[in-house]
Parts: sequence; structure tokens; C-alpha cells
Amino acid sequence: MSNAIDRKTALHVGKLARLELTDAQADASAKHLASILSYVDQLAEVEVPEDIEPFFGATESVNAVRDDEVRPSMDRETILRNAPDSDGEFYRVPPVFG
Amino acid sequence: MASSIECLLSLVNQNKMEISKLSASQIVSHIAAGELTATDCTQHFLNEIERKDPTLNSYLHVAKESAIETAQQIDARRSAGESLGALAGLPVAVKDGICTKGIRTTAASKMLENFVPPFDATIVQKLTDADAIVIGKTNLDEFAMGSSTENSAFGATKNPWNTDCVPGGSSGGSAACVGADLAPVSIGSDTGGSIRQPAAFCGVTGLKPTYGRVSRFGLIAFASSLDQIGPFTRTAQDAALTMNVIGGHCERDSTSAREDLPDFSSKLDQSLSGVRIGICKEHFESGLPDDIRKSMDESISVLKSLGATTVEISLPHSKYGIAAYYVIASSEASGNLARYDGVRYTMRFEADNLNKMYGLTRTEGFGDEVRRRIMLGTYALSSGYYDAYYVKASKVRRLIKNDYTKAFESCDVILGPTAPSTAFKFGEHTTDPLTMYLADIFTVTANLAGLPGISIPCGFSDGMPIGLQLQGKSFDEATLLQIAHQFQQQTDWHSRRPQA
Amino acid sequence: MNTNTQISAADREAVTAAEVTTIIGLEVHVQLQTKSKLFCGCSTLFGQEPNTQTCPVCTGMPGSLPVLNKQALKLSIKTGLALNCEIAKHTKWDRKNYFYPDLPKGYQISQLDQPICGVGYLDISDSDGAFEPKRVEIERAHLEEDAGKSSHDESGRGGKSKIDLNRTGTPLLEIVTRPDMRSAAEAKAFLQSLKMILTYIEVSDCNMQEGSLRCDGNINLHINVGGQKIATPIVEIKNMNSFRAAERALDYEVKRQLAEWKETGGTIEGAPKRTFGWDDQAEVTIAQREKEEAADYRYFPDPDLIAVVTTDEQIDAIREEIGTLPSRLRNDLVREHQLSEYDANVLVNQGRGVVDYFLSVAKTCDNSKLAINWVNQEVLRHLNETNSAIDQYPIGSDGMGDLLKRITDGDLDQTRGKDVLSAMMEDSIDAAAAIEKLGIRQVDSSELDSLCQQLLDANPKVVAQVQEGKVKALGALVGQARKINPNVNPGTLQANLRKMLGVDG
Repeated sequence: MSNAIDRKTALHVGKLARLELTDAQADASAKHLASILSYVDQLAEVEVPEDIEPFFGATESVNAVRDDEVRPSMDRETILRNAPDSDGEFYRVPPVFG
Repeated sequence: MASSIECLLSLVNQNKMEISKLSASQIVSHIAAGELTATDCTQHFLNEIERKDPTLNSYLHVAKESAIETAQQIDARRSAGESLGALAGLPVAVKDGICTKGIRTTAASKMLENFVPPFDATIVQKLTDADAIVIGKTNLDEFAMGSSTENSAFGATKNPWNTDCVPGGSSGGSAACVGADLAPVSIGSDTGGSIRQPAAFCGVTGLKPTYGRVSRFGLIAFASSLDQIGPFTRTAQDAALTMNVIGGHCERDSTSAREDLPDFSSKLDQSLSGVRIGICKEHFESGLPDDIRKSMDESISVLKSLGATTVEISLPHSKYGIAAYYVIASSEASGNLARYDGVRYTMRFEADNLNKMYGLTRTEGFGDEVRRRIMLGTYALSSGYYDAYYVKASKVRRLIKNDYTKAFESCDVILGPTAPSTAFKFGEHTTDPLTMYLADIFTVTANLAGLPGISIPCGFSDGMPIGLQLQGKSFDEATLLQIAHQFQQQTDWHSRRPQA
Repeated sequence: MNTNTQISAADREAVTAAEVTTIIGLEVHVQLQTKSKLFCGCSTLFGQEPNTQTCPVCTGMPGSLPVLNKQALKLSIKTGLALNCEIAKHTKWDRKNYFYPDLPKGYQISQLDQPICGVGYLDISDSDGAFEPKRVEIERAHLEEDAGKSSHDESGRGGKSKIDLNRTGTPLLEIVTRPDMRSAAEAKAFLQSLKMILTYIEVSDCNMQEGSLRCDGNINLHINVGGQKIATPIVEIKNMNSFRAAERALDYEVKRQLAEWKETGGTIEGAPKRTFGWDDQAEVTIAQREKEEAADYRYFPDPDLIAVVTTDEQIDAIREEIGTLPSRLRNDLVREHQLSEYDANVLVNQGRGVVDYFLSVAKTCDNSKLAINWVNQEVLRHLNETNSAIDQYPIGSDGMGDLLKRITDGDLDQTRGKDVLSAMMEDSIDAAAAIEKLGIRQVDSSELDSLCQQLLDANPKVVAQVQEGKVKALGALVGQARKINPNVNPGTLQANLRKMLGVDG
């Protein structure tokens, strides 16, 4: 099941997860990933009967819904207070292509 | 004059001595009876924190002023004859992965170093509605990922029984502060054993309720389908008292159960006659240290003497629990932690373009273990691996759940050790994360199946506490508490205190 | 598709339009008109101050959790039913993971493998016969949350982008068609027809300026070169902000792809889907900057939400609320109210409110033909001139029906009727009061006789023409008659004149 996890794989996964890894970090990450995956690969040996559906959530109850009612929003100052960069109206972020 | 001051001082000292020995239930009744003020009680714990916590580091934040202020208001309301809540005046410590309005909430991550939630978690709201006092926020492994608190960005917590040892994790601060008498009750969260394992390591009682029993609203998610909030206490009776307040349906959590909330205290005094205890053979296979095995045997004898019967059961897929758990928990975590991106409430590492900012912020803001799990989860969900890892693990999860369903046909609870060892030394498992993961081997399966579990003290090995785990049927916390309470009436492991 | 054989540039150049088939599929995002957002209680109002309609849930704050708005689900089912879709009895929520600053959680809550609406269809046609009537199959429609809005610095100086999260979490229904459309005109007709249905059943206002209806198109060409079939690479076109833009963008893209293929010979094999944007000013599609990594959304079931189960009874109840859809309504109007195809079309295109207005007027005056003329002319002209909706029209359907009843009964002619309508609107009064105000009264027979005599005496030329058989010449006298007595009914007047001249019939 597990393929070779190398620096390239680690860098690719890092990119998907928006983690900026140095080559050294990528190597360490690849090593760890390979180690945990070789442990996790024991899942492959479990024979799962055809009729077994995956159990995705810890509850299988259904239909938690709410009525379409407007509740007061939070005031902007409170919402923006935790932001690392805002102008009092908007969140601000670096440009996509800087 | 001098003698009356002496008299007063001795009374205060006497009070102080007493408070440390009191259970939460006793504190609540003393305050209700006017024999103890909420202010004195709170001040006592604040003093103890000041005295002992610089060594232990169980708190990340102590809410001194607001705690005293709230305590004084409660005393004033009591004097005025107002009716007060079920936990009136009781100081409660809350894991720092749970949002507290106006109180910095970090999840022990540099990422959230300055995050002040503008809202309370449902359980915090319920605690304050019951007039409990939030005394502070406790340490944890960053984003609850770990089994030792060594992954906290703000320094590890030490085990009150031996400061060379870890308190367990991820709710290590919550376990240690109750174990060291720095709070009568604390709140933690359990994703793979994060309440039960530290409870075992610190010699306290820790309950992980059934998934959905306690609202997750305001709990900073690690793995949403596994996370569950629960209490750390000295006694099972205190756990019942706390559960009566924090449990129940919450309309802000879609996964919150719509089950009726029982009075968790009502069954405590019932005899164990007729109670069937399942002994899971997989928990006693080779590798379990002799001291722990011996404690289990002795505990089983105690329960039998109280009228319980035992039956051997099997959870054949439990050996795959850790593997399934790490795939599922890490996958969910990789999604849950995507929101920490330097835009709205986290630290930011400035850069001249967006992706650079994302990458640097997330690499700087998260610790090693959190990054490892995000990497694993991202990999397990990525194109080409989803079925082999995430779906397969979720099917194994179903098999584990089915194992429990079958086992509970012949027993009411399942007994075994909480952890495969007592508290280990700092650094013992940090070089190979996989060995750390195995600390959860007996606890993860209850999370995967969504079932309740409790850990109670049941002995010592080399001066370190041993935990006994009882796992129960869905929404049957009451039976776990009943057995734990009856056990605690016959034993004094839960009353032992570490040297101050 | 066999592309092993290389096709020479000369052969490519020789290909004509007749050998090219355009293949178009659409993805339409529709904002559902709920009061509150999909997973929290914040308002969905458009155009508010930035970041004033947000809360911990829709800003994805740590610890916050989503709870489903049941109205959004209901509107999705209603849409599915109107588009002949299978409705899922069991539907669930998945996370689509990607990073963008206007996506607060780092994932969008959407539906991957159990969309609320399954396979369905929409029939389209063109009244001018631009294409044969056809059925466009709907592949699926799923419910998801909208993202916020980013505004980027356009100066080129690399200034910061600004993020507004008001829109974040607004319910969106994404409707995906099969690649069944063969021209931009068909795509445009699909969009128009879809919009009509969605507004009829009141699930969305479909306001494209406000982004309530957004459309992306997937397009490529199948080219027949001497019996060999070639497919060009698929291009997704974004930013088609109006029906006209969609039509022009797709038309342009057909030409561009053909030219590109003639130039390069590039085919679909091994060519990843590219994304182009429509530039409405330059009237061209422009390739968007390629992402470094191919998208890998790592979908998985959202553990914060639980499944939704819908019963047949619930689905039937929603079906009841849909009422008659536009295509059925057109047929009904033609069959039951004897409207022309043209009139029925004009009426239905105005939306449910105007149709209901017409039906009510027609019922009151018991004269569909009169009612359609007045609604399609008087009423619609006023609505156009004032840019207002039918519910803002000053005369209710009862009042209009009452007025037209008087015309039907011969109490008023149409010209006087229009005077009455003006008076009704001016003074906010009913027809009776307006008639009173204008002094309109019935002209009795002796009065009519003397008026006719007066006209005949004054117009010997007309009398002569009539006697020569040109009865129509009498029409010239109507205007004179009305100057003398504005209350005279032109029909009655002419009948009386004919009788007096002995040219009955």
C-alpha cells in the first residue's frame, strides 16, 4: 500500500497543506511519514466483509437542522479584533502573486 | 485581642487544610450551607496555584481577578438569599483548547498565542450558569495532539507525583492540577485517550462521555468525530455532579445527542450485585507490566466482592485501533487545522505573497507534532490514497464498533488497564513518535466507537499511580460512575495525595 | 477518439464549420433566497458594509460548529423537483479542502457523492427557431456554502488584498449539466429557461449583477477530419456575468479553439482542462494563470455535520408548493385562455406575479382577450417605464378586472377605458369614481339619433362614399362625434349611422 515516501512526496504534501518545508524538514517529514505509514499499513491485512460500510462519524443520528431565522451578527470590531492585519473594515492579506 | 486574631488565623488555616481535602461535592455543600465562602475557597486554590504551579506548569493562564470577582458576586448573592446554581462557588479549571469569552485561549499553540475568543464554549456557559467559577486555563499538547503535554508550545506540565515524569496528555494540565489539588474539578477533552490516560498518570478520576453527550461547541477541534469533553475529579461522585451540569443537547452542535440527560448521581449508591464486568482478553496480552496486571486482578477482586460478576470478552479488531485512529484523526485534523492561515485570528508570518505567507505562518505557528499529523492526514486524503487509508480505516472503525456491540451482549462494562504503563519520563518517547502513539492503545477504541470510558486510580507502581479503565455502553455513563463510586467506597487509591 | 494518425496542417486548415461540433456543459451556481446563511444565523442581505454580517461560525473561528438551515435544503429540493431531478432521500456533507483567504475554514462544506438532487433535465427551445427544441440533462445539483469576496490591488504595485466575509456561508446550489448543448445559443437558452424556472418557484432572485446566479462553461470541439474524430482540449470559462456575456464568450471560444487547433493540432489527449476568463470589455477569453499544483481537494465527509434524511411525504409537500412551471403555464394559457403563443410567451416571461395578475383580471372581467391586451400593453408599458415590479403597480387586479368588465359589458369603449385608467392611477380611485369624475354616462338613443343626423348633415362627402359602398368611410366620423360628445361609443355610433343610411351588415 505505501509507496516510497521521499523528499519530493513530502514537499508535495507540504504544498497541499501549505507548509513551507526546507529540504531538511522535508527529509525528516518523509522519514516520519514512512515510519507511521509502515505501521498503518497493517490496516491492509484486515479483511473487511462486503457489507461493512465505513463508519465516518461517531454518531449515526440524522437531521440536525435549524429554522431559517436571522440572528444578530457579531459587531465588526469584535470580529476583526483577533486579525493580524485589518483596516477596520476588511481583513488584509498579501497579494496572491507578490 | 491577640488571642482572637490567633483564633481567626487558626480558623483560616483549618479552613485551608480542610479545603484541600474536600471533594467538589463537599465544597459545593459547604458553600451552600454557608460554612465556606466562594471567595475563601477560590482564594485558597489561587494561593495553592501560586505556590505549586511554577514547578508543575499545569495552568497556562490563571484568571485571578475574574475568579475572585465572580466568587464575591456569588457570596453576595447567597447572602441576599438568591437561589444559586448546582455548582455555586466551585472553582473549575478548563483546558486551554476550550473557548472562554474574553480569556485568551491558545490550544497551547504559538499559532493562537493571542487569540481571545468572543464567545464561550457551551460547557463554559453551562458551568457559569451553574455558578461555577472558571479559575484558569490548563496546559495541553498543542491542539490536543500528544500523550504527554511535551508538545505544548508553552512548556510541558510535570506530573505531581514525580516531576521527572509526564502527566500524560493531551489534557495533562487538567489532570495535574486536580492531582496536585490546584483545582477540585477540571475539564478536559479526549480524542484518543486524552482524559483517561492523564487521569491514570496523575491518580485522578477522568470521564470521557459518550460521543455527543457533551456539546463540542467551543472546543477547538482536533478530530471532530472523536473529540469529546469530560471532567477530571477526585471522585466518581464529583464526576457525576459535573456531568449533570455540562451534559445535554446543544443546538449549536449538530453531532450533539438528543438523548435525555439522566441524573448521573442517581445510581451511585446502587449495589453492584448482578453487574456483569467484561474482561477483555486483548488488554491482558503479553507486554503488560506485572504491577499493572496485579492491580487489575486486585481491582477485579474488589468488584467481585461487591457483587459483580466477570466474563471474558474479546475485541478482536482492537489491535488495529491505533492504526485506524491515526489515519482518521490526522485526516480530520488536516482539515480542521486549515483555518489557521494567518488571516483572521492567528499569528502571521509576513511575506510578500499569499502562499509564502501561508507556508511560513503555518510552518512557524505549528509545532513539530502538529505538522507531522497534518502531513499524515493530508497524505491519507490525497488523490490515490483516500480509499486505501481513510476509507479503509473507517471500515475498520466499523468493525471495532461492531466488536463492542457484540461484547456488550454478554457484559455491562468492559474493564482493563487505562494505559500500558504508568507515567513515563520526559523525553522517553519523543524521538520515536510511534512509541508515544501506543500509549493510547487501550483508550482509542472507545473514541472510534463513540463509547464512554472512565479511568479511576487503582494502585501504584514505583510510586506512580495506575489507572483502571471501565468502558460502557452508549449513553450509559451512569453505570460507569456507579461502579467507580462503589469501588471508591471500598478503596482509598483516589484519596492518596502526592507529597506537596 | 483516435489521434494516433497525425493530421497535417493543410488538412486542418481545410476543415470547415460543417465538420465542427461544439460541445458545451454548464455549471450554474445559484444563491438560494434564505434569510439566514447555510450554517449560521447571519443575514444573507446583499450590499451591506463589509464584514458586518459575520459571526464565529462563518468566519471559521476555532471551536465554532455549523448547523444546517432547513430552508436551504427545502429550496434545493424544490429546485430539483422543478428540474425533474431525482431527490436524494439520504444526503450528506463533505469538505472540499483548499486554501484561499475568502474561505475561512480552509475548506468549503459541499456535497460530493450524495448530492441532494440527482439526474434530471430541462427542455429548451428557441421561438425564432435558432435551434431545434431539445432536452438538456442535468447531471446533479448539490448544496454548498459560498465563499467571501476578495478585492485585489489592481494597480500592479502589489498592494494587499482586502477580504470581506459577508457573503461567506450563503447557500449556493450548484447545478451541473451534461455536455448536451451544441451552441452558445443553446447555452444561453438553457440559462434563460433555468432563470425563469428558479424565479417562478421563488428559490432565487437570480440577480446576476449581485452574483445570485453565476455561470461557468465547459467547452470543446469535436472535429471530423475525413472520418477521423478529433476532440480539442476542454476549456472552462469563468466570469460570464450575464446571459449575453455567456453567449458571446462561448461563441468566441468556439472560434478560438478552432483557430488554435488549426495552428497547433493540439487535442484533448494528455491536455489538462484549462481555465479561461471572459473579458467583457475586450470581448475575448483569456487563459488564467496556471496553478502550480493540480487541484487535489481531498474531499472527505464533514464530521461536524450529520446526514439528512428526507421522506416521500416531505418531498410531496414541497412538490405541492411548486405550482405550475413556465412551460406548462404557457400551454395552459394558450389552451384554456385562448392566448396566442406570442402573448402567452410575453406574459410568462414576465414572471409568476404578472401571470397571476393576468389570471385574476381575466377571471373578473371574463374576457381573456381583453385582459391579455391590457396586461401586455398598458400594464407592462408602465412597469417598463417605471422599472417596477407588478406588486408595485398602482391598480390591483380587482380594480383592473372591474374596469375591463365595464368595457366587456359595453359600458365603456377601450379609448374611454384608457382615460378611466389614467384617472384611476392619478387619483388612486376605483373605476366607478373615475367614470363619475370624467362625467362618463351612457348616451341614450334619441341623443344618439340627433348626433348622427348632425354628422350626416355636416359630411355629405362621407354619405356619398358610403352610398357607393365604402362603408368604412364612416370611421372618419367617429373622431368628430367624440369631439361633440366624448361619451359616445364608437361601435354603437357606427351601427346607428349604418342603420340610418340603410347599409346594415
